Amino acid sequence: MPMFSKVLVANRGEIAVRILRACRELGIRTVAVYSDADRQSLHVRYADEAYRLGPAPSRESYLRGDKILSIALKTGACAIHPGYGFLAERADFAAECQANGIVFIGPPPSAIAAMGDKAVARQTVARAGVAVVPGTEGDGSLNDEELLALAPQIGFPLLVKAVAGGGGKGMREVTNMEEMPALVTAARREAEASFGDGNVYLEKMVEGARHIEVQILADGAGNVIHLGERECSIQRRHQKILEESPSPFIMEDNDFRQKLGAVAVRAAQAVNYENAGTIEFLVDKDKNFYFLEMNTRLQVEHPTTELVTGVDIVKEQIRIARGRQLHHKQEDIHMKGWAIECRINAEDPYNNFIPSTGRITHTLLPTGPGVRVDTGVYIGFEVTPFYDSLISKLIVWGETRGEAILRMRRALDEYKIIGLRTNIPFHQRLMDSHRFMGTQYDTRFVEERFSIHAAEESKTYHPEIAAIMATLVAHQQAERAAHVIQRGERDTSNWKWLGRWERLRK
Amino acid sequence: MKYVTNIEEHDYTVEILDDHHVSVNGTTYEIDFVPVSNQPVYSLIVNGESFDAHVFYDEDIWQVLFQGNLYTALVEDEREKRLRLSLGGAASEREEFLLKAPMPGMVVSVPVQPGQTVKKGDVLLILESMKMQNELRTPRDGVVGRVRVASGDRVEKKDTLLSVE
Repeated sequence: MPMFSKVLVANRGEIAVRILRACRELGIRTVAVYSDADRQSLHVRYADEAYRLGPAPSRESYLRGDKILSIALKTGACAIHPGYGFLAERADFAAECQANGIVFIGPPPSAIAAMGDKAVARQTVARAGVAVVPGTEGDGSLNDEELLALAPQIGFPLLVKAVAGGGGKGMREVTNMEEMPALVTAARREAEASFGDGNVYLEKMVEGARHIEVQILADGAGNVIHLGERECSIQRRHQKILEESPSPFIMEDNDFRQKLGAVAVRAAQAVNYENAGTIEFLVDKDKNFYFLEMNTRLQVEHPTTELVTGVDIVKEQIRIARGRQLHHKQEDIHMKGWAIECRINAEDPYNNFIPSTGRITHTLLPTGPGVRVDTGVYIGFEVTPFYDSLISKLIVWGETRGEAILRMRRALDEYKIIGLRTNIPFHQRLMDSHRFMGTQYDTRFVEERFSIHAAEESKTYHPEIAAIMATLVAHQQAERAAHVIQRGERDTSNWKWLGRWERLRK
Repeated sequence: MKYVTNIEEHDYTVEILDDHHVSVNGTTYEIDFVPVSNQPVYSLIVNGESFDAHVFYDEDIWQVLFQGNLYTALVEDEREKRLRLSLGGAASEREEFLLKAPMPGMVVSVPVQPGQTVKKGDVLLILESMKMQNELRTPRDGVVGRVRVASGDRVEKKDTLLSVE
């Protein structure tokens, strides 16, 4: 049974910090790796040791498995935690670790490979008796003509999805035959750019669908348990923006929860899964559910499950990787209260969510009862265009869903990030939305029924206050400019003027 | 000093009476207004009510963000407003449209060529930033003018990418 004395974290940003924290609490020494863009990042500053990988682009840094392995060997790290993204779901990297005697904190390479190819994953779980969404279950290497021929059999609307995909990249919605060729091309292009694999497949779109996922933990002795579900239906362009646990769609229906959990456990067992993983389901309005995919890694939204179950998932991952048996039995797992997570992204919600980059000049973190912030940024940190736009996660816990929403509202109001645009106002508007409060939403809610501009009905709409603010700031700036221009014709002495000018600039 | 500040197509006549008083459309407010920690963050107390806002300037417009609402405000003094009205709102329709990079990133592809006719909503360029591919579209009909970038180019925010005439 290996005692880990040192763990290398092969990631960056908030998730690297999250993993470092777990290691710290367990008394494990930590090794961070970083690109040139991240020299000043929190994960580099928090870790016990830090080593440079290379230039900013991921391909030359965080995706360089060879360099990461050699750093692990050089520093005497016993294990590598991949976080999410980057190398987390690369079976070849996990195998390479194994071959070098380093523990990969995640599932065995065979399980990553089996679940990583979405088409193979669907076949595998279908054989284990788990329902899947109708689609092209072939080998995933269909050409455009074959796809176009199969489309009418599946029926519109349908989704074109990347075989190697995830996170909504390389995915397009198709409503009719005419627009399909162009959308297949676009999906292939994005898949090729994101994953180096342009293969796509088709999947029927379940209408009114909710995206509900089940967290599972599996140890090397064959014990598999589930930690209940997370609701992830608040999405934009198939990217999750907000998650909650439990799902308001399941609520008190414990029978359904256990049914879903049992199926998730079966799907994990079908590939001899080990470590933490997530089974994603689409659930329609009649509570029919279909297997969507399995994420063979730690999820962005894992804190919501942690807050309602009390289980530290990252510590469990490390425990399992050390060859120990699960800490908990299924009957020990109870969900208590309600957790909501808002993903704080560097993007402009008023301008079609385009990414925003720049230096964070000021930030004020929400604190107080029931609030958790997992962040990778701080004042002075520069958000670059090289990595994804997630800069922090705001998670709250409440006894009830209502309390959690009210708490999230107040935490969002406290949260200030200045220097770039963030989607905090989007979340604030969402927390005020009657449909969200009333749980009347599905995966299309944000795109079809939600507008950030519908501010006028809101009770927090104060245009006259905004007018005062804008005018006072504009006035101060105009006065300052006038002072500078009229330098030569001042009526006061130069020293007096300088003093006044200095005060203005403070 | 008197200003006319326009928010969502409503004019607010804001007069700065002294350091602690302003009037808005004829109603006088007692105010205390201070910047916070040397940032574009301001604390405003109006008749005892406290507001905390982020106020910043972007492309001739003031943006005010507080309590989850973003207000875009055009602030003009009376002279500026007269000047603008006398010039009229002409010309903008026939001017060439310059497509500028809304963020730093890498050009993935430019599916149009100089001289090509485009319709409002057509994709002019695909820009990758933060692992997302963003389709940049033309806001109006026209003919593509000069294309200044090619696929693979890195661009900075506000770089001019191409024009539509």
